[in-house]
Amino acid sequence: MNKNVIPIGPYHPLLEEAEYFTLVVDGETVVDIELDIGYMHRGHEFISESKTFTQSIYLVERICGICSTSHPFAFVQAVEDVDNIEIPLRARYIRTLIGELERIHSHLLWLGLAGHFIGYDTVWMWAWKWREPVLNMFEIISGNRNHYGMFRIGGVAKDVDPSKVGKLIEILDEIEKKIEMIAKAAKDDPVLKSRLKGVGVLTKKDAIDFCAVGPTARASGVPIDVRKDEPKAAYDLVDFNIIVTENGDVYDKLVVRLLETFESIKICKQCLEKLKTTNGGIRNNVKEISAGEGIGRYEAPRGEVFHYVQTDGTNRPVRHKVRAPSYVNIPTFKASCKGISIADALITLASVDPCYCCTERSIKIRDKNFNLLKFDLLKLSLEKTEQIKRQMK
Amino acid sequence: MADYQDFLKIMGDKIKSKIEKPQRLYFEVDNEHILEVADYLFNTLGCRLSTATAKETYQGIEVLYHFSHDKTGIYFCPRVVMTDKKNPRMNSITPIVRGAEWIEREMSEMLGITFEGHPKPEPLLTRENKEVMKVPLRKWRWQ
Repeated sequence: MNKNVIPIGPYHPLLEEAEYFTLVVDGETVVDIELDIGYMHRGHEFISESKTFTQSIYLVERICGICSTSHPFAFVQAVEDVDNIEIPLRARYIRTLIGELERIHSHLLWLGLAGHFIGYDTVWMWAWKWREPVLNMFEIISGNRNHYGMFRIGGVAKDVDPSKVGKLIEILDEIEKKIEMIAKAAKDDPVLKSRLKGVGVLTKKDAIDFCAVGPTARASGVPIDVRKDEPKAAYDLVDFNIIVTENGDVYDKLVVRLLETFESIKICKQCLEKLKTTNGGIRNNVKEISAGEGIGRYEAPRGEVFHYVQTDGTNRPVRHKVRAPSYVNIPTFKASCKGISIADALITLASVDPCYCCTERSIKIRDKNFNLLKFDLLKLSLEKTEQIKRQMK
Repeated sequence: MADYQDFLKIMGDKIKSKIEKPQRLYFEVDNEHILEVADYLFNTLGCRLSTATAKETYQGIEVLYHFSHDKTGIYFCPRVVMTDKKNPRMNSITPIVRGAEWIEREMSEMLGITFEGHPKPEPLLTRENKEVMKVPLRKWRWQ
């Protein structure tokens, strides 16, 4: 029996970032897979030791471009965990709102990419079209479409303007209808069903063995969600369900993400309603952090983000450990890719929504090869903000 | 306090020192007991290994595992301290917890720890980068 090897990567149209998979195939069937990462490693944990806590918030925000609020969310909770710092109620609602809006845009982004990977570009165009209003909401709240810079130790940086809450709820109502339409079309589509059902199954036992997290684990019937298990911010004050399915295939991962989007919209609406009536400050003044250890975690769109901070009483961490959800989800390919055909391997690799920048904790800044330099981008951004402001009047 | 008192009663004789916080239990165990503690936490209590942190302190090289008990939100963090800084060695928990494979490989290349019994003791992140210095997260790296 001949066994051949098919390399995927390090640069491949399927993968937004650089990593290397080796599929060992017997005919059309994948019998084994080797994973190689390390092309994006830049040593964030080492850089963080030379930054103050406030500077580190900006640093960890730039670990990942898609879930850029999950890392600061977990990091500030880790620092607050050292001294058990309480944060004001209004700040708790704002943190929850930002986190959930990010989940909506991230799940829509994945839905679009998943449609694109299986050659179904209609899904891609519709999903990304209705992701745009969510990014506009971020711009209304924080001034940025991504990298919001909203988190501070002891609270949040900016308040949500009460006069804009009504407009934000209006946008949410509008996108809810549209996402319902996309979800119904995607769930009932015979092409998607026949393409995704029973493909890349991750059993419950394998999900527990590999310590998988997030939608990857929940699609396999493991009911874990940090928002319920250890409710921080305002998650104990809002009403929502966690979505768990049993089959563990790619279709179930799609269903989990789609249904979670509606739960997120529900949470966002509750937070915005509460922000109308909740008064008070948005930030407690934290003067110093004592020596100790703290753990912070947050349910990012891809699963649990984990930050550990050890402090010595100064304004810098002695040790800062970051663990992104893809770090534990990517090894599950060893279980889910075995026995499937080569054509199904691509969508299975995409099904955990892998984020390699997070996994290896790195950033890349290149401005030499781009025509748009820093100030051009800044100018464009300001123009867009002005445009949105005009539309809102 | 929290619900980890039962754990302290059962595993109390293996714990050398401990720090108790709400929902968090940091404790130190000997290298020969780490497999037993990991087995109890993972297989009996049904904890999930979040990750592990390795760091260099004045006492030696330290490995801190983070086991999350998802039903209660408690973190159990067993700590193993290796005083031999030149050649730190400890038992690998990967044969018990398969999810520890990558993080032990990473700790091994970042701080030069040898995990005995690891099924694949190869570098994870710096394998392709030969020019990267060895053990980059060690303090006093100029010595």
